[in-house]
Amino acid sequence: MVDYLIILFAVTLIYFASVERLTNYIRLISLQGLLLFGIAIFELKEINTANMLFIAAETLFIKTILVPYLLTRIIKRSGVTKVHRDAMPGFYLLILSISALLFSVILTQLMHNQYINSIFMAVALFTLFTGLLLIVTHRLIISHLIGFLVIENAVFLFSMAVGNRMPMLINIGILLDIFVGVLILVFFGLRLKPRTNELTMLKD
Amino acid sequence: MMAIILMIVTALVFPGIILRVRSLASGRKGPRLMQPMKEIAILLGKGSVFGDTTGIVFRIAPAISLSAILCSMLVLPFANQKPVISFDGDFIFFSFLLALGKFFSIIGALDTGSSFQGMGANREALFSMLIEPAFFILLATFAMFTGYTSFSGIFSHFNIAGDYYVLLFSILAVYIFVQIAVIENSRIPVDDPKTHLELTMIHEVMILDNSGFDKALIHIGSYLKFAIFGTLLYNIFATTGMSTFLHVVLFFLVQIVYAVIIGLVESFRARNKMDKNPKFILTILAIAWLAFVLILTMTSRLI
Repeated sequence: MVDYLIILFAVTLIYFASVERLTNYIRLISLQGLLLFGIAIFELKEINTANMLFIAAETLFIKTILVPYLLTRIIKRSGVTKVHRDAMPGFYLLILSISALLFSVILTQLMHNQYINSIFMAVALFTLFTGLLLIVTHRLIISHLIGFLVIENAVFLFSMAVGNRMPMLINIGILLDIFVGVLILVFFGLRLKPRTNELTMLKD
Repeated sequence: MMAIILMIVTALVFPGIILRVRSLASGRKGPRLMQPMKEIAILLGKGSVFGDTTGIVFRIAPAISLSAILCSMLVLPFANQKPVISFDGDFIFFSFLLALGKFFSIIGALDTGSSFQGMGANREALFSMLIEPAFFILLATFAMFTGYTSFSGIFSHFNIAGDYYVLLFSILAVYIFVQIAVIENSRIPVDDPKTHLELTMIHEVMILDNSGFDKALIHIGSYLKFAIFGTLLYNIFATTGMSTFLHVVLFFLVQIVYAVIIGLVESFRARNKMDKNPKFILTILAIAWLAFVLILTMTSRLI
């Protein structure tokens, strides 16, 4: 079952390079949260209940519901619907995404040892590169935030690649990053929008 | 030989099923299943009209294109029987035969000297070029799974129920095969065979100058291609140990479900904008690449 979920997760990364609307980005982020919840449930068998509840809350509530809800509010208030304004066309982004997958597999092969789960490592690296690509190829700040959220999902998968452990401290740190990122954006999006025309643009 | 007979039978009703599904989905009764064949029969009874600017290439292109498709049917197996032609690497032969057919369609369109047909040929060539790697990656994954490089070897040793990872790969393979078939046959969402505006056409604009008998050959080739891709899908599901009767039932079941899926997609999905098509096709290629990399990693064949 975990294999189905991890492949579905990788397919969502391909669609990140393909879709053009912010609502689709948000749906993908939400779906990724749900998939990570499923992966965590099936993969983390030797974990205490408190930690498991924390992970369930993090993936199911925050990643799947709260963050997408906040992002949806931002795009409704800012009126920005497309991610590709002044960004690299999706065709080239897809080629970069395919290259990133190849590069991830090569890196996984170089790092391969008995303590690392190869498939988790390959998908985690692919997720990391996809997040970086989203940030460097887009100019909208909201796309950067989504890239940041994708990288955060990569960190979640990295922690699974090295075994059935999920240090609480890393989780809290990650959660704090998400909250700060999204809250700042909500603050800017909802408070300062009336005074600027293109708040969601990084520059111009 | 049985595979060829079954494919021809399927090709007779395949377009009719798609039309009927589209009609039912839009609340109409729709034409009879054999209506497209009646239209083909009418076209076959007519002579061809050739423009002054066309040459010999335009005249021979439909026949060569259909011949290439018919020859590609010879390598497809059925029910673990040996196909008419089988050798190592025959899937490359199959793929290049389809490409040869397409090549002649394209140069036939260019031979008319019409800018519209040149535009359609350009688009068709680009989309075929983009989807070709996905097909090869998919078959390379099959080859790596089974250790064989011929269709008969691959499909006789590929058992969908045999292994958990095989099942996982099969799901992705079916999805990718359906998408490749849609693109190869120029259907929605890549192209719309019902469109009447030349600027938005792809395949239809290429055959604007073809008429009568030649046009019938082109349509027959298109219907046979559907049956060919349906046969590839059937071979994914077919397992050893089934009787020939069950294989025939499974064959028609897969083909009918495949036609219904295409009919439903065409009913409920809008056509892509022209400039979005390369990205759509590249997404299919990326998923094929993902299937290749991840499933071979899971089965320790790659890492």
